[in-house]
Amino acid sequence: MKRRVVLVDDHELFRAGVRGEIAASVDIVGEAGTVAEAVPLIRELDPDVVLLDVHLPDGGGEGVIAGVTQERPAVKFLALSVSDAAEDVIGVIRAGARGYVTKTISGSELEVAIERVAQGDAVFSPRLAGFVLDAFREGEPLGGDAELENLTPREREVLQLIARGYRYKEIATRLHLSIKTVEAHVSSVLRKLQLTSRHELSRWAQERRLV
Amino acid sequence: MSSLLFERSSDDRLIAGVCGGIAARLAVDATLVRLVFAILALAGGAGILVYLALWIYARGRRALPAAILFAVASAAILFALGLSGTALLGATLLVAGFVTVLAAGGSLRPGGSVPRLGVVLLVAGAVIFLGRSGASGGFLAPGAVAGALVLVVGPWLWQLTTERTERIRLQERAEVAARIHDSVLQTLALIQRHAGDPVRVSTIARRQERELRRWLYGSGVSDAESLVAALADAAADVEELHGVPVELATAGDTRLDDGTRQLVLAAREAMTNAAKFSGAVEIAVYAEVGADTVSVFVRDRGAGFDRTAVAPDRRGIAESIEGRLKRAGGTATIVTAPGSGTEVELRLPRSKS
Repeated sequence: MKRRVVLVDDHELFRAGVRGEIAASVDIVGEAGTVAEAVPLIRELDPDVVLLDVHLPDGGGEGVIAGVTQERPAVKFLALSVSDAAEDVIGVIRAGARGYVTKTISGSELEVAIERVAQGDAVFSPRLAGFVLDAFREGEPLGGDAELENLTPREREVLQLIARGYRYKEIATRLHLSIKTVEAHVSSVLRKLQLTSRHELSRWAQERRLV
Repeated sequence: MSSLLFERSSDDRLIAGVCGGIAARLAVDATLVRLVFAILALAGGAGILVYLALWIYARGRRALPAAILFAVASAAILFALGLSGTALLGATLLVAGFVTVLAAGGSLRPGGSVPRLGVVLLVAGAVIFLGRSGASGGFLAPGAVAGALVLVVGPWLWQLTTERTERIRLQERAEVAARIHDSVLQTLALIQRHAGDPVRVSTIARRQERELRRWLYGSGVSDAESLVAALADAAADVEELHGVPVELATAGDTRLDDGTRQLVLAAREAMTNAAKFSGAVEIAVYAEVGADTVSVFVRDRGAGFDRTAVAPDRRGIAESIEGRLKRAGGTATIVTAPGSGTEVELRLPRSKS
């Protein structure tokens, strides 16, 4: 069965491009260009996955997630952006997106990412993995809940390989793990990213702006 | 309506919008005007009377009742001051100055006409008030000082800051326009000329995207001196020269020094090799700035090669990558085999500075 997908991006041209690339393998049931359009549309259509631009004219992708999750908790969000600002990307992930890929991703890789997110797994692009490693930097205990505030050595290893451009399968081979275990590590990182104390991550974001 | 000295403000109002209206007319903050009225109200309720007078005037342009109220208000002020010649003169000058400013179409907005006469009258009135307030009108002295300062200096300061903000905004606008002209418009022109060559078009577009992104989200001037910026430059160059996309991911950043410059050069060589020889459709570069090591990984999923089959004098790898890192005090490791891609790992201890 094809996954039902809603596209949220304010660039009609980009939406058309994505549609052309993935329409064969997924069912694009709706499109929106603003937060105000997207929220009622997603609530009504109840898709499997929403491809969500990080930046929208009337607010961030965060606004769309916040407006939908209460009523449609099963809808999964995959952030899609050209934005390089780490704070924005981390912000959307913390709001509840299951992953982040850059807009230069190929059609086939996007299809894989959509399927993975639909199954409840996390999708980290190399760039996001770098941002996360930066936010959870080693040797800087962030205080609070130690289990949530720090990555395990294994999670760190997996993230570093993602940042280096390895696919889950390649990581599994290299670390002698099953793909399922790799996915579990990535999901665990995602959970920590979403649950860790807001205060510490905003300090990180502040510092980044000052560097 | 324009013949009125002022119009009551319908949106900036606490009571009837009189203060808001005067403030809008003078282009000053309404709070200042309210402050003046409040101080005047202390002087035997004169402020309240003046307010009522202005209200009546503004509502129906009925000058007579307004004038009577004004007269009563003036009397109240004079009474509060202890009736004297100088106080009368001061009050008259203040009122005259105020009216002159309003009547001269006085706007203190930048570029608007400034009624010098009105300002002079206000200053003179305030000075006379100050001069005589020492003995009996003690409570009025601080009010008069504040009033005079606010009336005379406030608008000028306000005008100066607005002009400055405006100038900065114009400057920024000009910079953005220049930047867009130099980059985006040129790129669009290039793309039109190479419309038939998709590889070239996508390379140009990607380079432009990188530049714009760094400009929008980067940290400005110091960027050219950072490791991440230098790697992004190298990646963009390789992309443009060889038409293979380079995905750059980073964790942390650091300032460039002699060692990290060598690291960037070695990474660039590794990217070039991957682009030229591996046949991969994409190159992944990851840079991590740790507590005591800077690492850069350059990876492709291309053909790979047999290290032993490469002539030892092939300068690309031996000299440009391994030798360079060694001299800088770091290490280079190349992991490859035919058919399984190549990954070059560059590690450099961080110099303690």
